[in-house]
Amino acid sequence: MEKPEKLIVDGKRLDGRGPEELRPLKIQAGALKRADGSAYVELGANKVLAAVYGPRELHPRHMQQPDTAVLRCRYNMAPFSVEERKRPGPDRRSVEISKVIREALEPVVFTKLYPRSGIDVFVEVLQADAGTRTAGITAAAVALADAGVPMRDLVSAVAVGKVDDTIVLDLTKEEDQFGTTDMPVAMLPRKRVITLLQMDGSFIEEEFERALALAMKGCEQIYEAQKQALKARYSIKPEEG
Amino acid sequence: MVEVKTGDFVVPGDFLATTEEFVPGEGAYEEEGKVYSSCTGVVLVDVRTKRISVFSKTATPPVMKRGDVVVVRVEEVKDQSANVSIGVLRGYEDRQLPLPDAGVIHVSEVRDGYVRDLSKEFKAGDIVRAKALDTRRTPIRLSTVGEDLGVIMAVCSRCRMPLDKDDSKLRCKNCGNVEFRKLASDYRRGIL
Repeated sequence: MEKPEKLIVDGKRLDGRGPEELRPLKIQAGALKRADGSAYVELGANKVLAAVYGPRELHPRHMQQPDTAVLRCRYNMAPFSVEERKRPGPDRRSVEISKVIREALEPVVFTKLYPRSGIDVFVEVLQADAGTRTAGITAAAVALADAGVPMRDLVSAVAVGKVDDTIVLDLTKEEDQFGTTDMPVAMLPRKRVITLLQMDGSFIEEEFERALALAMKGCEQIYEAQKQALKARYSIKPEEG
Repeated sequence: MVEVKTGDFVVPGDFLATTEEFVPGEGAYEEEGKVYSSCTGVVLVDVRTKRISVFSKTATPPVMKRGDVVVVRVEEVKDQSANVSIGVLRGYEDRQLPLPDAGVIHVSEVRDGYVRDLSKEFKAGDIVRAKALDTRRTPIRLSTVGEDLGVIMAVCSRCRMPLDKDDSKLRCKNCGNVEFRKLASDYRRGIL
């Protein structure tokens, strides 16, 4: 990828969005037949599938916790999800992302209801264009709700960043690569509790506050879409397939 | 805040009521004096008992109660009891059960009447339909008393071929071996 001369021209980004606009978002609850719960999310060019299994018997046995369920996450990128073929299997990056996704979801799940069991969350990235961990969290939250796992709230996630000295919402790959800062944020939309916050690059304090406020606004839009996805699947017809 | 009515569609985290008004029922939880939904479904408001609950529209994780019918595999047959591992709960055939999965069938709960030898009722590897008696303790106590409960699939202990029902006995087509079991009325019909 070549570095474009400017990432923001006349207040418009390369894909024609304003700085505080999300990419087109599509969420579908219940995309996989055999999973206990699943969801499919498209955010711009990102395509992410999430599947939830459980609560179920946890193996290996020594991982079982006598008082709670164990939440396990696996974030995985398909070899064809990026421009240059990605070597399949977990690597340093995806192991870390699996961990932060787990920690982003853990506070909402009532794990204490299912002692000695495990809940498995699989996030598969089919096509990546920056912000896959946030799209993954968004999908995983819907998948958990689709599985009927008791939850305190949903989790919505979005990235913010700084590109050409402008605070922008939902970065694309170019903006992520050639911008100054990228900051993924996940939160519980009702209580506004942040469960994931990472940052690559730098902000001054005032910029950080503006970016965080923008991320929260973005999360609310994503939350509405998550609600709509669950509603579309479950409010009218009680059962299908 | 908007009043929530019966029939409203909610997702996890949606506000339902305050604790002064309602007690959280199924699919709802209380936090800091407020009642929220913990699942995706429709609200049920019971004005009489002051209970607000959410009827889940999604599939939910199976929960075993007393009287539920389960399908188990016999792991070990002892003098007084048979240890089994619980496979699936009826009504939730395509979903795994959360732990615990250990169950036990006592001689006195095998059939109506006296059982002299438990090894003539079950053998390791048998697939058995049973009813839960007590789900609070592990291992879960199970019973096979009743027409529709008992072995639904068994193999010959000599040659491991599936056994065929022959009146009240089981006969092996392959080697002619005759065995005894506490059979369910629909033995080997392929019904769980």
